[in-house]
Amino acid sequence: MTVLHAETLTVTSGQGTMVAPISLAIEPGQCVTLIGETGSGKSLFAQAILGTLSKDLSASGGLRIAGQDVALDDPQALAGLWGKVISVLPQEPWRALDPLMRARQQVAEVHALVTGQANPEAAAQADLAALDLDEAADRYPFELSGGMAQRLAIAAARAGGARIVVADEPTKGLDIARRDEVARRLKSVTRDGGALLTITHDLDLAEALGGEILVLRNGRLVERGPAAQVLRCPSESYTAELVAAQPRNWPDKPAAQAGAPVLTARGLSVARGGRRLIDGMDLSLRAGEVVGLCGPSGVGKSSLGDTLLGITAPAAGTVLRGAGLARERFQKLWQDPPAAFAPKLSLGRALKDLMSLHRIPADRLPPLLEKLRLEPALLDRRPDAVSGGELQRLSIVRALLLDPVLLFADEPTSRLDPLTQQQVMRLLTDLARTKGIAVLLVSHDPGLIAKATDRQIALSLETAPDEVASATGIGTGRRARS
Amino acid sequence: MTGRLAGTVIFAAVLSFAFGLPLISGADPVSQSLMKSLQPPSADGWLGYDHLGRSMSARMAAALRLSLSIALVTLVTTALIGVALGALASWRGGWIDRALVLFADSVVALPALLIVLIAGLILPNQPLAFWAGLSATLWVEIFRLTRATIRSQIASPAVEAAQLLGFGPLYIFRTHLWPELAPVLRATLALTFAAVVMGIAALGFVSVGVRAPTPELGLMMVELLPYWREAPWALLQPVIATLATLLALTLIAGGAKA
Repeated sequence: MTVLHAETLTVTSGQGTMVAPISLAIEPGQCVTLIGETGSGKSLFAQAILGTLSKDLSASGGLRIAGQDVALDDPQALAGLWGKVISVLPQEPWRALDPLMRARQQVAEVHALVTGQANPEAAAQADLAALDLDEAADRYPFELSGGMAQRLAIAAARAGGARIVVADEPTKGLDIARRDEVARRLKSVTRDGGALLTITHDLDLAEALGGEILVLRNGRLVERGPAAQVLRCPSESYTAELVAAQPRNWPDKPAAQAGAPVLTARGLSVARGGRRLIDGMDLSLRAGEVVGLCGPSGVGKSSLGDTLLGITAPAAGTVLRGAGLARERFQKLWQDPPAAFAPKLSLGRALKDLMSLHRIPADRLPPLLEKLRLEPALLDRRPDAVSGGELQRLSIVRALLLDPVLLFADEPTSRLDPLTQQQVMRLLTDLARTKGIAVLLVSHDPGLIAKATDRQIALSLETAPDEVASATGIGTGRRARS
Repeated sequence: MTGRLAGTVIFAAVLSFAFGLPLISGADPVSQSLMKSLQPPSADGWLGYDHLGRSMSARMAAALRLSLSIALVTLVTTALIGVALGALASWRGGWIDRALVLFADSVVALPALLIVLIAGLILPNQPLAFWAGLSATLWVEIFRLTRATIRSQIASPAVEAAQLLGFGPLYIFRTHLWPELAPVLRATLALTFAAVVMGIAALGFVSVGVRAPTPELGLMMVELLPYWREAPWALLQPVIATLATLLALTLIAGGAKA
């Protein structure tokens, strides 16, 4: 029996069609994954099935859940099914936990209120044991590790016994290890005979889940088919582009020709909030090379970069800029592009102020905009009226106006779509090669680091930073503990 | 929004009465004529006459002019001190920040009216004492607000970017900090203005403020209190004027938040 059956489901707003008719059916033990960029309509489609569309949008078509027709125009009809028949795994699930409730109670609450279990505490304990959380039952969420909190959220989401699980971007903001764990947990849904509908832009997750894949773009279905087929030999060019935009599928970049050192640090120690993060590190960055800075969250990657740029003072040691290089030639790219611009100032005004401050001739701007494929008309807008990718390119323009010798790129593409990410990264590596700019790149994505950087500096929480020479062999492989 | 509009209308009416009346009427607020003592409102004296036969309309306008002018000057002073010190504290941090916060906390610990009274004994005239005393106490609120608002802004990537790009503190204040600060300050400035008007009236009412015969709202209330049975309309005038001014400013302050 089909668990979830959507027939020509359409989402419309006052302006027109947001999601063109899409039909899908999920049998028990199957999973379907919707993939696409931001704005492709994949989340709207899921919201239509859940009955959580905002009021100015309306859904039409047919929806059968567990063999029963459900009225799409009646939000109450769907709300009655929440928890028991259909459940949602929220984005960043650890934020969905009640911070003032112990782990067991978070799950027991669902057993008591949704399914009306006679002994919710015992049922919750059994759920937690199944996810290896039994010893954490009496802890509060803040006492759990990230992975445990995530498992707890999954336990709570599934405690109602729902057979249909909708996961909306379940790996958003996760590093690779956590992502694999989420993929495993999601697959357990289908193993137990449930039906899984996942919405993601993470192709690795889609591949790990298997099942059927629907590729959406601008609210239309581009391609559908079994996961292996769609991702391995896509028949549509858009899908092929998406697959090629995965960092591990990027073409190799030209080899580096590292020039003179632009920045050298000796015996550098970095502290933040009174805690020493990095101790006695030596490093040198050369013109034209792209250096990856990796390590788990909180290890001090951003703090190290800020210290090298002189935004914060080092706790010990020295940072030496190359001879005759002004401070303004050491620039930074931020993770969240809109946050790096004054929100109430037009972009053109901001650039004009910068150019008059440093007496940069006005005719230098248009060629830069053209090189980065930015419309001059964008400059009339404010930062919030420009897309993330365009804004990140504009911040590159802003840095390039000052003839930088070093760009510290702090996860510059983690908030961008895969296609935009590839464009921005290619641009950065090209700039390193053609203009001899040293790029220090922070990223959580090992694939991206492997493809985009010449050598890596790995920071870890316990041990001293290791400098790792990558296959291209530019690094000198120095150890860095004093 | 309607609340703020109403507040603005009332405040404009108070202002135009206070500053417009001398343009159309030559009545002297201190010249007495006992013949007219406690005469009710009429065609030639719109608001009537007080117990000494002085024109109530001229006295009301003069009293409001005094209060509003002192309030305006005090407001500008407190805003300058508060914003400058708040920006300095959050920008420099460290011991400057700690010292300024300690100083602000000590100022709050002293009763504001006591400081005004002390200023009154030291300084040669009363308006100057009000200005100095009230400025010395009321800047704290603005200082705290500025410090808290700017602190979060200074740590933002946008300000970090501006610093890396070589912009100076003045540019950063103008383009990054002030646009965030101004809407937050608007309500507090309106309430500070109200606090000054209130403070002057309160001191006048307990007869330690402006000396007679200078017309002042609190002082006028005290002077007219013994005649409340014969001339309630006269006593009500300074009360209503004070109430209207405070209400208008409170409405303006409240509207800014919505």
